[in-house]
Amino acid sequence: MEECGDTNITLREFGCEQSLLSRPDGSSSFMQGDTSVLAGVYGPAEVKVSKEIYDRATLEVVIQPKVGLSSVRERLQEQSVRETCEAALLASLHPRSSLTLVLQLLHDDGSLLSCYLNAACMALMDAGLPMSCLFCGVTCAVNAEGQIITDPSAAQEKESRALMTFAVESTEHRVIMSSTRGSFSVHELQQCIAVSQKASEKIFQFYRDSVRRRYSKIL
Amino acid sequence: MAAGFKTAEPLEYHRSFLKENCRPDGRELAEFRTTTLNIGSISTADGSALVKVGNTTVICGIKAELTNPTVEAPSKGYIVPNVDLPPLCSSRFRPGPPGEQAQAASQFIADVIESSDVIQTEDLCIERGKLCWVLYCDIMCLDYDGNLLDACIIALLAALKNTQLPEVTIKPEACTPEVNLEKRNGLLIHKHPVGTSFCVFDNSILIVDPTAEEEGLSSAHFTVVTDEGDRLCSVHKPGGTALSGEKLQECISRATARQREIQKLIDKVIQSVKAAE
Amino acid sequence: MYSCFKDKIGEVLLPGDEFSFETDETISLTDTVKAEKVVCGPGLRRNGDQVLVCKSGVLRHKQPNMFWIDSQQRRYVPAKGESVIGIVTAKSGDVFKVDVGGSEQATLSYLAFEGATKRNRPNVQVGDLVFCQFIIANKDMEPELVCIDSAGRANGMGVFGAGGFLFRVSLGLVRRLLAPRSDIISDLEKLLPCELVVGMNGRVWVKAGSVQQTLVVANLLESCENMTAPQRQALFRRVAQGAL
Repeated sequence: MEECGDTNITLREFGCEQSLLSRPDGSSSFMQGDTSVLAGVYGPAEVKVSKEIYDRATLEVVIQPKVGLSSVRERLQEQSVRETCEAALLASLHPRSSLTLVLQLLHDDGSLLSCYLNAACMALMDAGLPMSCLFCGVTCAVNAEGQIITDPSAAQEKESRALMTFAVESTEHRVIMSSTRGSFSVHELQQCIAVSQKASEKIFQFYRDSVRRRYSKIL
Repeated sequence: MAAGFKTAEPLEYHRSFLKENCRPDGRELAEFRTTTLNIGSISTADGSALVKVGNTTVICGIKAELTNPTVEAPSKGYIVPNVDLPPLCSSRFRPGPPGEQAQAASQFIADVIESSDVIQTEDLCIERGKLCWVLYCDIMCLDYDGNLLDACIIALLAALKNTQLPEVTIKPEACTPEVNLEKRNGLLIHKHPVGTSFCVFDNSILIVDPTAEEEGLSSAHFTVVTDEGDRLCSVHKPGGTALSGEKLQECISRATARQREIQKLIDKVIQSVKAAE
Repeated sequence: MYSCFKDKIGEVLLPGDEFSFETDETISLTDTVKAEKVVCGPGLRRNGDQVLVCKSGVLRHKQPNMFWIDSQQRRYVPAKGESVIGIVTAKSGDVFKVDVGGSEQATLSYLAFEGATKRNRPNVQVGDLVFCQFIIANKDMEPELVCIDSAGRANGMGVFGAGGFLFRVSLGLVRRLLAPRSDIISDLEKLLPCELVVGMNGRVWVKAGSVQQTLVVANLLESCENMTAPQRQALFRRVAQGAL
C-alpha cells in the first residue's frame, strides 16, 4: 500500500468505471483502495447571463460530502479542483456556456483530494470535453520518521506529520496544483514532488487501460 | 495614450513592462509593496491588528469566549478564523452570504493555523473537559488590491501577539468560573508563519505580491507560508499553469527572506506599543 | 509525417497525446519530395507543427489523408451543415427559437421554409418538431437553422412528427445509423416497416404501424448502443420470433 523506496512506489488498488449514470453528459466513478468518489459532468450547456464569460466556458464544481451539507472545507477543495480542471480544459472552445462538475463522496479512507481529481479527469474525458492534457492527483504523507508514504489511508494520514496533494499533468509531468497540511522542510517537499511525478506515470497508464477497455466493445 | 492602451490590451500593457523586468507601479519583479502595521486599534476586542500591504487593507479582530471543549479534544481550546470580503472592498464582491473566495480563504487560514502550530491549543484549555477558550478571529478586508492571503496571515499573527486573555479562576465551591478582567495575560505564540504570494505570467515570469490587476491577468498564482525555522507550513497552489522545480525553489527562498522582514516588523511595532504604554 | 499517424490508426488515444512532424535527417536530392497534407477532423487540434489529441477515442482514417478521433459523447455541439431535429420553443419577432440540445437555442427564420413569404407564413407552432440544417454554427455566434437547401427546396426538411415518438441516443449511435449501408438499419428494415428520422444531435424519431410497434423499435434502438453486432442480431431475431 504504502512505502517508498528508491524506485518502488506502491499505490492502493485502483478501480474506475465510466458512463455509469444515464442523465449526465459524462460520468465516472473512481476508487482508490476504500476511498470512492462518483463524478458527473454536464456541459457545454446554457449559462446564466450573470455568470457567463465572453471568451471561455464557465466551470462550476460542486462537492457533496457523504452526510450533511457542504461546508467551508469543501469550498477550498472545490477551488483547487476547479482551477486544476480549467488548466487542462480548452475552455475557449465553448465561450458563453457552462460546464458543471459534481463530485459525490461515497466513502473516505484517505487521499480524498487526489481521488476527487482523478474522478474529475475521467468524467471530463467521458463527456468528450476538449482537453489539452490529462491530470491526476497523488497524495503523499510524511510520517513521524520522515518516510514518504504515497496514497495513504485515513489511519496513515492521521499519524502523519505532513500531508501533501499534488495534481500532475500528463504531457511533461509538471505540478499543476499543490495543497498541503502540516509543516515540512523544503527537502521533503522536493522529495514528495519527485515521488508524485513517478506515481503519476502509473496512474496515467491506468487511465489508458480503462479507456481502452471501454472502447474495446466498439472496436 | 497609455491609459487607452491599458484598457484595450491589459495583458500586452503588462507584458511590455515585464520585458524590462519591472512592473507598472515601478516595482522590481521580486519587490514587495510597503507594508504597514497598526495594532490594538479596536479597544472592544481582545486583540486586533490593521495591516496595509500597498493598497490592500485588512483588519483582524479577536474575541475570546468561554465554552465547553469538543468531545474529540477535551483538553484543547480552538480558534475559529473567518475571512469576510464585504462589497466595500471591491466591486467584484456582492452583498449576501460569503462567496467562494471568502470561504476558501477562511479554510486556508484555518489550515495554516493548524499546520504551523502558531498557538498550542492546549494553552487555551482552562479545565479539562469543562472549560476552554475559543478565539473568534474576524478578518475583514477593507480594500482589495490583490494579495489577500498574505495580508490576512500578517494581520492574524499580529492580532494574536496583541491578544490579552483575562485570567480565569474556578472557585471549587461555587463551580462557576470567575473572570478577572483587570489581570490579563498575553498568548504564547510558538511560531511565526508568514505567507508570500506569487503570480506566474505566460508560464515563465514570476512576480511577487501581485496587485488585483496582475492577479486577474496571470496564468497561475500560489502562496507559500514559511515560519522562522525555515520550515514550510503550506504550499497552496490551487491550479493554473504548471511550475518547474527551480522556480519553486526561488520562490521558497524569497518567502523565507520575507518571513524575517515581517517578523522584525511585528516585533518592532509591538515594542513601540509597549514602550508607549 | 503521415506515417506516425498510420501506426496509430484504430488505437485508443487520450487527450494530450501528440504527433510531431519531424522531417527526416537526410533528404535525398534525387527523389522528389511531395508535400503531404493531413486533414484533422474532430478531436484533433493543430498546434504549429504538432497535432494534439484533445478527446479520448479511437483514431480513424479515411482516404486519402483525413484523420479524426471517434469518441462516444452524449452532448451535441452545433456544427455547420449538420441536419438535426429541433423542438420549437418560442416565436419572437421574425424568428422561431429552436432547442437543439446545445448550449444555446438556435434561431430559425420564418422565411427559411419552402414557399414562405412575408405574407405567407409557415404553419409552425410552439412544441413542433422540425428537421433542419445549420447554416451558421460556430463558437462565437448564435447558431442559425434553415429548412430549405441552397436551391430553395425543402428536400425532406420542415415540420413533422404527428403520431411518432422522439427519443435520445448517444452521438456515436447516431453516426452508426447514418453511415452508408448501416447494419443496424438493414436489420431493422427486415424486422419492422417504420418511418425513421435521425438527427445528428442525438435525437431519433420513429413511427411504425401501431403504438406498440413504435415503442418496440424505440427500445431496440436505445439498447443497440452497448451491444456488439452478434448480440444485436440475436436480439432482433428474438424479437422477430417472439413478442410482437
